[in-house]
Amino acid sequence: MVELVLRGIFSAFFLASVLRISTPLILPALGGLVSELAGATNIALEGIMLTSAFTGVVVSAYTKSVFLGVMAGILSGILIAALLAYFHLYLQTDLFLAGIALNIMATGGTIFLLYVLTGDKGNSSTLASGAVPNVTIPIIHDIPVLGTIASGHNIFVYLGVILTWLTSVMLYRTPFGVHLRAVGENPVAAESLGINVRLMRLYAILISGALASLGGLNLSMAYLTLFQREMTAGRGFIALAAVFLGGRTPWGTFIAAVLFGFFDALSNQLGSLKVPSMWVQMIPYVATIVALVVYALRKRAIYLERARKFQERHLAELQARGVHPHEAG
Amino acid sequence: MKILRIPAVREVLRILLAITAALLLGFIITLLVSEDPIGAYKAFLTGPLSKFNRFGDWLEESITLIFVGLAVAVAFKSKQFSLGAEGQLLLGALVSGSIALFVPLPGILRIPVALLAAATVGFIYGWIPGYLKAHLNANEIVSTLMLNTIALKLYDYFLIFHIKPPNAGYNASDFFPKAGVLPSFVPPFMGDIYTRFSQQTNVTIMLYIMIAAFIAAYYMMFRTPFGYELRMIGANIKFANYGGINTKRTIILVFAISGIFGGLAGAHLAMGIHTKLIMNISLGMGFEGIVVATLARNNPLFVPLAGLAYGYLRAGADVMERASDVSREMVLVIQAIIILLVTAEGLLPVIQQRVAARRGANGQNAAALEGGENG
Repeated sequence: MVELVLRGIFSAFFLASVLRISTPLILPALGGLVSELAGATNIALEGIMLTSAFTGVVVSAYTKSVFLGVMAGILSGILIAALLAYFHLYLQTDLFLAGIALNIMATGGTIFLLYVLTGDKGNSSTLASGAVPNVTIPIIHDIPVLGTIASGHNIFVYLGVILTWLTSVMLYRTPFGVHLRAVGENPVAAESLGINVRLMRLYAILISGALASLGGLNLSMAYLTLFQREMTAGRGFIALAAVFLGGRTPWGTFIAAVLFGFFDALSNQLGSLKVPSMWVQMIPYVATIVALVVYALRKRAIYLERARKFQERHLAELQARGVHPHEAG
Repeated sequence: MKILRIPAVREVLRILLAITAALLLGFIITLLVSEDPIGAYKAFLTGPLSKFNRFGDWLEESITLIFVGLAVAVAFKSKQFSLGAEGQLLLGALVSGSIALFVPLPGILRIPVALLAAATVGFIYGWIPGYLKAHLNANEIVSTLMLNTIALKLYDYFLIFHIKPPNAGYNASDFFPKAGVLPSFVPPFMGDIYTRFSQQTNVTIMLYIMIAAFIAAYYMMFRTPFGYELRMIGANIKFANYGGINTKRTIILVFAISGIFGGLAGAHLAMGIHTKLIMNISLGMGFEGIVVATLARNNPLFVPLAGLAYGYLRAGADVMERASDVSREMVLVIQAIIILLVTAEGLLPVIQQRVAARRGANGQNAAALEGGENG
């Protein structure tokens, strides 16, 4: 039995399914990362995903164009993000409460409109919505194991990897990224250097909305090809956890999201064993709490180390000038 | 308009305006989608009072909402953004339900023991993110969200593998024995009234416990040194630290006490409303608590009012869905708009700026501490 499961885990098909399950976490997690680093924790990822998943399906069904569906989905996600930014940055609404409100609005609004359009509150199966195409990578596709793992996925899977790389470049290799992180690290200092804090946060939240909406579209136009009520099922929140589990870095976030996907896929595999799937499903959540603790302890250690070095330098300087530390106060 | 300078009046006005605006928007939406918008909206606004059992539904729902609202208000008042009510509720339901089912005590003992256990497990489950926040500065939004999912998995595991009857084809426990079900809030000697309430509604003695809970929460927050520390941390944690408050201890206790209310909400759902343990017993109640607390501006005194108001909207939406072609999810949109409008500090800027200018910047912190008017 155990052997069967182990063989299942290390099969190419399993790894391919991990990638597919992880992608709707990777994309919103990148969005969560960008706004988190700008100092604006985006709780609304869930609602943004849901909105874009719905809009993508509806628009692609009515226009018969997958491209237009995707574009409309992204736009709708950015629109929700813009609402969040407007209420938070310009009307001084608490970011957290505004995010919760938008999630509630997305949950209710999508079901409400689904019922108006189809007369069904469960899913959009009566709408003929489109699906994004799968991508076959020419040479790799024919290599036995690698081909199964890496080729033939939908576009979003590849976008997830590419956008992780792009986000990393954007955050660490461009002036825009440096400004964005500075705003999150110390808004007062950033402001004093002439960076427009509010504008940077607006950009960060909008980017975050675009990335999260790709995650939503992935769910309704690739992973499944219809909209289901509450189909995000907490992925927006898991994505937020992946940001913290990944130590607030792009590739760390990517790996954390894949880890969540791995345990999700694993709990499906374990159906054949007598192990209750709940215990397996619980692992990434416990791991995230452990990661929070480790992250906090590391941060504190770095802080103490810096303080110690500063003190040493200060004392050395005083000694060099021939002042006794106690006299200097 | 001198009266507008009083913060409490402004606050009430703002909330009433927000509710009116949201209801108006709801009506416009109804106009757009319904064949009979007037009928639908009438069902929505008067539904909970139209029949006796619907009135009961409204009260039952409101009791749950008030408990989770209190859980959220206590935490939010000291600016601890705990989302843990959901997990505490689930564990409270699990523990109290198990006691109601399996512990062979007479009802007069079994019910208090079950309620106490629900409160305790909520306290403990709230303590965890509190400790993580206070001592390790771990983000409480993330940690409580994770703990919620862990609680959900625990709940499902125990329900499916240990509590439900082994050969049952459904994922639910047996109905609780009579000794494990909360009695009606009307005492039996009241004859006719008792029969009506106990047969047509599930409004139980939890009503009285809820009243005691909100008074206790109010007393704790505004009449005890602990409550002062709680509010001081919410107003300015650096200042609280400087003033010699043991902020770590207070923060942990805030989380844990908030957990008590979450746990009791779970007991109410298990032993009062469903009288058995079912899958998906909560369905996002923890988030509903945020709406209630926000409407009440995190003041326990106003939580029952907010809970009743919001419970009314929810119960009305149920009636509307059954009576018309408008689905109940409209109330979620209304709810979201209410939160956005109530919390948008910049919406009434002119009046506020005038008041702020009169008070002067120094008065701000003191004002935040003296009453419940500031979130």
